Amino acid sequence: MHNPSVMSFSVEPLNAETVVIRVGKALDFRNAAEFKAICQEQVQNGVRNFILDFSETGILDSTGLGAIFSLYRQVSPRNGQVVFASVSRPVQVVVQLTRTYKVFRQFPTVEAAQEALQQT
Amino acid sequence: MARYSILVVEDEHTLRRLLEYRLSKYYRVRSAANGEEALQLVLEEIPDLIISDIMMPKMDGFALQQALQSRKETRAIPFIFLTAKADEHSRMRGMRMGVDDYITKPFDIDQLLARIERLLERTKYFQSQLDARIGQDFSKKLMPKQLPSVPGYRLYFHNSPKEYGGGDFFDWTQHPSGSFFITIGDVMGKGLQAKFYAFSFLSYIRGTLYAMLQTSQSPAELLRRVNHVLMQDTVMEETFASLLILRWDPTTHEVTYANAGHCRPILVKDRQTAEVVEYSDLILGLDSNATFQDATITIPTGGGLLLYTDGLMEQRTASGEMLGEEGLCELAPQMVGAEDPVQTLLQGILSRCNTDTFDDDILFFWMERLS
Repeated sequence: MHNPSVMSFSVEPLNAETVVIRVGKALDFRNAAEFKAICQEQVQNGVRNFILDFSETGILDSTGLGAIFSLYRQVSPRNGQVVFASVSRPVQVVVQLTRTYKVFRQFPTVEAAQEALQQT
Repeated sequence: MARYSILVVEDEHTLRRLLEYRLSKYYRVRSAANGEEALQLVLEEIPDLIISDIMMPKMDGFALQQALQSRKETRAIPFIFLTAKADEHSRMRGMRMGVDDYITKPFDIDQLLARIERLLERTKYFQSQLDARIGQDFSKKLMPKQLPSVPGYRLYFHNSPKEYGGGDFFDWTQHPSGSFFITIGDVMGKGLQAKFYAFSFLSYIRGTLYAMLQTSQSPAELLRRVNHVLMQDTVMEETFASLLILRWDPTTHEVTYANAGHCRPILVKDRQTAEVVEYSDLILGLDSNATFQDATITIPTGGGLLLYTDGLMEQRTASGEMLGEEGLCELAPQMVGAEDPVQTLLQGILSRCNTDTFDDDILFFWMERLS
């Protein structure tokens, strides 16, 4: 049987168009395909705003970042957004390096991100 | 060597347990009672081989195979159908869909084991042959065959990929005016796929640079054009790349650069001090409205410029932290005047780590202005 404890990501719908994805300890070459598949399913269900919760995340490599980029390219034509919440230090380093803070807005908490998304 | 992992998909409890039991002597086995469960397990970890029943509740074997075929990362998983359906129709349908083997119940378990082994061996053999050949071939094309010799400077290049390496690339070309265009970048992703994209990408950059030099010598303009293609061309849709392009004039010692999310160069001022070359813009392939700017620095006498990819900076030091730009700023000045600057930097980094090897692909280029 499928064991939920080995899953790296959990999805929490906020409304029909917005979900929170809790990124676990790592988003990297080992689980990027899984992340993509989960996001794909949400996009197909009409979700266009993604809040990524990085509070637990110690590893974000270039394959993982690539998976987030793919998501961004899917939702941006639909005026969707991908925003980062509770960004851990290792994630912050990657975001700084790639200058992607120019694209992904960052918020101190999931709640703050949610509030900002409701206003747009 | 790690054991192969096999996914068994079978709705009948007893048979599923039997297969699990027999296979687990040789393989890592996971099992699912229908196609839906199987898909979940495949997404968590891609198995080396799937053995599946056809008739199952929820999602049957045909639907599972179809779902696997629709994703590029699961398309090539070796697949054996195990079924009571002896009829030719099902067999043909399965084969057309990319099923590798077909065993009808009741079956001899030893025969099944032999077929699994043969299929895994064959897959492994093709994979390793292909990886090694393609990997080496592409690697050579992503790195310079030689470096220019430039009066007043000394230049060093070092590249040590892990296994077949990833999407790092480096290239240089000389403009008729005497200035050099240097390109360093990293196509996101791991392994052969990244390497393949890097190869196509570098060919594209070379072509674009050549065409652009007729009208403009601005690195930022080149980044704009390359980004435009990544955003428009559906073949390159899933390609994201960091790219740093520099125009270096060895007579004025000026370097004009534009940086799309690539690791920021380290400018060494003298044997003691170095600083990060700050300005950079967004990585390529993400935003069609991204803007890029040129910036200019001057390489001082007795100083130099260090270009590199992320493996160098992300190396873990003994404290568990990444070496980082700070670490490189501390170590890079030691390269000035060193007999072997490449070894000086490599040893300098490793002396801060608990290991004597690097975790990732290492690539750097060092240009030193002689005093």
